[in-house]
Amino acid sequence: MQVKHTDSDTDGEEFVFETQTSTVETSRSERLRDFYEEFIYKPGLVALDDSRTLIGGVILFVFILIALIGTRVYPAPVTNQVERSLKPFETMNAPLGSNPSGTDLLAQVIHATPSMLVLVTAGAVFSTFIAVFTGTVAGYKGGRTDRVITTISDIAMSIPGLPLVMVLAVTIKPENPAVVGILLTINYWSGLGRSIRSQVLTLREESYVEASRTMGVSTRRILTKDVIPNLMPYILVNFAFAARYCIFAGVGLYYLGVLPADLANWGLQLDSAYNDYSALVGSGSEYLVIVPMIPIALLSLSLVLLAQGLDRIFNPRVRTRLAGESESIEEDDDDVVHTGGV
Amino acid sequence: MRYYAERVARSVLTVWAAVTLTFGILRLMPGGPLVQLRGQLSRRNMSPEEIENQIAVYRERLNLVDAPIHEQYIAYLSNLLQGDFGQSLKEGEPVLQLIGEALPWTVFVMTVATILIFAIAIVWGALTAYKEGSTFDKVSSVAGVLLGSIPFYVFAFILLLFLAYQNKFFPASGRMTPLTDVELTVGFIIDVLHHAALPIASVVVVQAGLQMLSMRGNSIQVLGEDYVRVARLRGLSDRRISTRYVARNAILPMYTGFLTLIGFNIGNSVILEQVFTYRGIGYVMFDALEVQDYSVLMGVFLVFTIVLVVAVLIADLTYSWVDPRVKSGDASEAY
Amino acid sequence: MASTTVETREPDSEDPVVELRNASVTYDDGNSYVLDHVSMDVHRHEVIGVIGESGSGKSMLAESMLDSIPDPGVLRGQVRYNPSEGEPIDVLDLTTEELRQLRWEEISMVFQGAMSSFNPTMRVGKHFEETLSAHDADIDEGLAFARELLQDLYLEPDRVLNSYPHELSGGMQQRALIALSLVLEPELLVMDEPTAALDLLMQRSILRLLRELKEKYDLTMVFITHDLPLIAALADRLAIMYAFHPVEIGRTEEIVQNAAHPYTRALLNSTPNLDAPIEEMVPIPGSQPAPINVPDGCAYHPRCPLADEQCRSSKPDYVSVSDRHTSACYHWDDARDEIALNYSENLGDAARSGGDE
Repeated sequence: MQVKHTDSDTDGEEFVFETQTSTVETSRSERLRDFYEEFIYKPGLVALDDSRTLIGGVILFVFILIALIGTRVYPAPVTNQVERSLKPFETMNAPLGSNPSGTDLLAQVIHATPSMLVLVTAGAVFSTFIAVFTGTVAGYKGGRTDRVITTISDIAMSIPGLPLVMVLAVTIKPENPAVVGILLTINYWSGLGRSIRSQVLTLREESYVEASRTMGVSTRRILTKDVIPNLMPYILVNFAFAARYCIFAGVGLYYLGVLPADLANWGLQLDSAYNDYSALVGSGSEYLVIVPMIPIALLSLSLVLLAQGLDRIFNPRVRTRLAGESESIEEDDDDVVHTGGV
Repeated sequence: MRYYAERVARSVLTVWAAVTLTFGILRLMPGGPLVQLRGQLSRRNMSPEEIENQIAVYRERLNLVDAPIHEQYIAYLSNLLQGDFGQSLKEGEPVLQLIGEALPWTVFVMTVATILIFAIAIVWGALTAYKEGSTFDKVSSVAGVLLGSIPFYVFAFILLLFLAYQNKFFPASGRMTPLTDVELTVGFIIDVLHHAALPIASVVVVQAGLQMLSMRGNSIQVLGEDYVRVARLRGLSDRRISTRYVARNAILPMYTGFLTLIGFNIGNSVILEQVFTYRGIGYVMFDALEVQDYSVLMGVFLVFTIVLVVAVLIADLTYSWVDPRVKSGDASEAY
Repeated sequence: MASTTVETREPDSEDPVVELRNASVTYDDGNSYVLDHVSMDVHRHEVIGVIGESGSGKSMLAESMLDSIPDPGVLRGQVRYNPSEGEPIDVLDLTTEELRQLRWEEISMVFQGAMSSFNPTMRVGKHFEETLSAHDADIDEGLAFARELLQDLYLEPDRVLNSYPHELSGGMQQRALIALSLVLEPELLVMDEPTAALDLLMQRSILRLLRELKEKYDLTMVFITHDLPLIAALADRLAIMYAFHPVEIGRTEEIVQNAAHPYTRALLNSTPNLDAPIEEMVPIPGSQPAPINVPDGCAYHPRCPLADEQCRSSKPDYVSVSDRHTSACYHWDDARDEIALNYSENLGDAARSGGDE
């Protein structure tokens, strides 16, 4: 469907300017509608039907609500704000209990959410963007550009991520969660970029891309209008996986104390519970470790569910069936496949 | 032959890039590492002279010299080539010695863990593929996803809580019972395995599910191939089809992943070994992070890179042995 | 002696190898037919070409002879196999083990896409060995026969047997697959579009080799294809499939020169041939029905220029047009006049004469 726009200019010079704008306009609104159909309406239908996507989406939505509203309503964590070492559900002052320094655990969990979401988003956006950029350019341009980019991403891929981040974090000491997110994915993009490249190589041979190229459309335009939209599903799925990686690595590094953190941080919460308060040793304070584990597991679970759901959503066969589009025709196709033929 | 040369060249290039990175990081730090260290020392009530002496020691241990930057670089490279990774800032031990003492433990834990991961994933994934759509399959997929969405260190805490603290089935920390003699006796091996069990389990449980899902996907794909159908029509036994046809072709794409996962897991040992106070190479790095021991930090990072590079290289170079379709001439990518 | 052998090679219409009676394949709990009540014989020592567009059910016809319909299809009706010696066998009544033995030992099959029929990680020779051992055949003897077959197919046995599939070209793989299908000396060889993935020259040469093999080993073959001119050169009889059953069956010359079904005639006219200039090649308008909405009456009526009320309401039975030539059309006689073949000079413009048969 994305091909149309590239043809619209070809009718040549004898047409007046208005005609051209009007074609462009219709095709733009058409494209908007297509976009709505392709990326919002139909995925929405499938998402509602697919319990995985639904659960994943709801969990993520709750986290966003906590970040936006929860932090405004619920007091921020400080030491000695409530009684020390409260058990969960003991008082309503600190529903999830408090640590031996009198910090409300729920306050820590809530106020850690915004920076964690920023970190995760920054990392996922950064790595996906770099991956899409390098992958499409390398795959599409080929030749020398391809060789240079491939060599660089090969190298990036063979350097272990977490140790690299640690070495960099110790020297840079980043405080802004967005910077941390980018740092975490400093070489994470390479694997995704590589697989996007090979997909672009396949797409490149598709006839409509070929057509655009022979018509002299610029590379940038072909990439943004023809190639990337076709890779969108794949990119979105990997976006979710990149986000999950950011949680794993981010919390892990905060836990190790590699990154500077304040009280509102799940990793730091784990660290102090396990290493400072020896919460697992059996003094009945296991909840200190368990409380921060819950948001970590839930957030990463929601991203895994979304990634799996997105995979289904953008799988055209599943979508057709659920969107109720010409169900019968689809079944015919099945049978044609069985009956073989050419 | 050209293929092998290219792969080796790429590996060397990667290690060189990592070396240059560590060199660059140390020199490009604001004011250099010595300024940071000087700051730490001055907080310890030391006289200016003592500080200067200590700084001189640090400079020595970090292999820093007063010379133009390119000469420093060349000196750094040649030191590394001779196996001189500098000395630990804290104790002054050679970095390589620290690493050499710790690395085998990490390699042991992660290799065992990765082998287990793949053994479990292959059997489990194949079973789910054969029973595609059954309750077993659905439960397995959900379990795989749930396990895969827990960070391994979170799972490590759960294991510690239930199996080391509440029930004292396994030790919570250490590589072996303190003061045992290191000798290859049955008792010693059991002791080592006993200590490694929880670290291994926390990696295995979390990663096996995801690997199972990919084995499942591969197997389902292979089961749909014409050659499996033709093999059935040819009257081959189910046993032969499931091993020689389905399993073989479904496992192949995972071979490279297996070796690289060992490499990555060794690189990710820092958090795991900190949680279990397991003195492997990751723990050495954690120690160095705590006190900003730059020479150890950079040394361990280089070793991690080399381990991963070697793992990938082995995968690349041996892939043509396991998959006849790949001749060394027209090899596909490792990733 | 030699002359008697030659005689026995002649197709014998009184001695069918496989008899299909009301064979049907359904999906969707019996609601949609992809093979619709087919009754048809395969004569011993003949080559029968089954021709149809994609989606006409011709592959189902092939699969039903080995009772190997892919899930979740269900095969009903009767499939009877008559060995050259011994009692007739009802294929659909066989146990799993009996069926396993029947396949490849008695009836074997070559699929389209030889490339995907070999295990990519196993040498070609191993495929022969495991097939022989799965059927308790003598491996050494069997391999010797395999070499002979490969040689008959103009392949170097040693090279082929020691190669991995990807090391052979498409044509070589296809020939190796044919040898593999014959290694247990089956009575009947069913081939489903065996040449579809190959280039024209390779198709012709494989066909020539098949003819040689047939002569040498007394084979009976069912050859499924969409390519009428290709098979016309090899087949003794042709069966034209439309909408999941054969609409016309007859001797090859008879069909090519004197087809008695409007679809067959249209199909002949849509095929490139040397007699007709390219402008006279006429594609058939419309498309083949899908299994869930096969038209009532004659399934071809929406596309047929001769269709009338009768065609729309009731399904035509097979009519014996001439010796061993049947057509499922009310207007088979008119069809010969109405629809001129573009490569035949004696059929000119014909006037519409109307009337039932």
